[in-house]
Amino acid sequence: MQNLLNFLYRFRTFGLFLFLEGVCAWLIISYNNKQNAAFLNSSNSLVASINSFTNNTTDYFQLRKINERLVAENLLLRKELANATMGQVVLDTTSSDRYDLIKAKVINNSFRRSMNYMTLDAGLNDGVRPEMGVIAGDGLVGQVKSVSANYATVTSLLHRKLLVSSSISRTRTLCTVQWDGDSPLEAELKYVPRHIQIQQGDTVVTSGYNAIFPEGVMVGTISSFELEDNDVFYQAKIKLAVDFSSMDYVYLIKNKMIVEQDSLEAEVMEQ
Amino acid sequence: MVRINYVQQALHLVIFLLLQIPFLYKLILFDVAFGFFYIGFVLFLPYGLNRSLAMLIAFAGGLIVDVFSNTPGMHASASILVAFAKDSWFGLTVGSSDDDVYLDWNELGVWGSVKYLLPLIFVHHFIIFTVENGGFNSFGFLLAKISYSALYSFTIVFGLSFLMAPKVRRI
Repeated sequence: MQNLLNFLYRFRTFGLFLFLEGVCAWLIISYNNKQNAAFLNSSNSLVASINSFTNNTTDYFQLRKINERLVAENLLLRKELANATMGQVVLDTTSSDRYDLIKAKVINNSFRRSMNYMTLDAGLNDGVRPEMGVIAGDGLVGQVKSVSANYATVTSLLHRKLLVSSSISRTRTLCTVQWDGDSPLEAELKYVPRHIQIQQGDTVVTSGYNAIFPEGVMVGTISSFELEDNDVFYQAKIKLAVDFSSMDYVYLIKNKMIVEQDSLEAEVMEQ
Repeated sequence: MVRINYVQQALHLVIFLLLQIPFLYKLILFDVAFGFFYIGFVLFLPYGLNRSLAMLIAFAGGLIVDVFSNTPGMHASASILVAFAKDSWFGLTVGSSDDDVYLDWNELGVWGSVKYLLPLIFVHHFIIFTVENGGFNSFGFLLAKISYSALYSFTIVFGLSFLMAPKVRRI
């Protein structure tokens, strides 16, 4: 017994080293779960307020650029509004009224890592919930990972574990968009079967086959593709619609029917 | 005998660790070189400081960085390893004739800095980028990221430690 205690005492430093590394490993692994508490990440209110402060300071020098982008987005929306209201009658108010938007400012963003996240200045108090979809004026941005009272952390589309159910709008082919970790301008387009004729420049939009994103949110355009003789699916890349290097304002999508849709789907899955 | 200059350690905390936070993923050169100079804070912890204490300090420091970068545990684990290895590594590479080593730029000099700082920074960056990458896939790009980032961080740590070194009266 004495020997054992001596042994433990002699290797206490190494033991502490192993213990601390174990704690770190546990933290790393447990963070990979889809949802987690807003504690050890950037939606923590203290951390986010510091980020918000540095962001406000740097924003001041880019006000002109941000303004220009917002004006451009406004113009685009006005054009779409003009098209949408021209002679169209809303047939089903439940489906047209299904989604609500929450605006948020990006206070921290990364796009050069292999797992990218961003922090928004909207949280539980503004109605943000985990797993909500995030879009910007020009397309899809990501999905909410965790939320605190006033801030939210978002898994960016530039994250290798985020899969987006999409479709090619010209052919209506269901496919999946996933980032490969290389360029922040491009992502991979997966599971397009070989009998479909795709072209460079085809637009890829969200499919609407889940409760997170509505149908038809722009994801990107096909930039290159190839098909080897024995491939079942195309190997294609898309140019992302959103420029992740300059993000300032985004919108969170609130689906009013999410509970109904998810519980129905879960019921079917169980059978 | 451990000599601790508390003023200097506090200065290191501010310059290395706190200054890093707003620049965590902003100091990027050519898309491959990331500057993680906060590790200077761990590297310049007093020589001979109780190793357990040093590891706990490194754990706390790494975790602060982690919280800001959404990577709980990643920077902390690499920092702990550096804190665990740094004194032995210093003895092995630089060594000293005096008993009471005073770990700063004046003690290390240019060549000593290269021998003491660069390999530890390389190991630290190796762990961070491999864990973030989730393994060794696309190894070439990973290795480029690790090497350029290590050189880049070393340059910053070296420069900052040089600027913060107490003036030595020259004869």
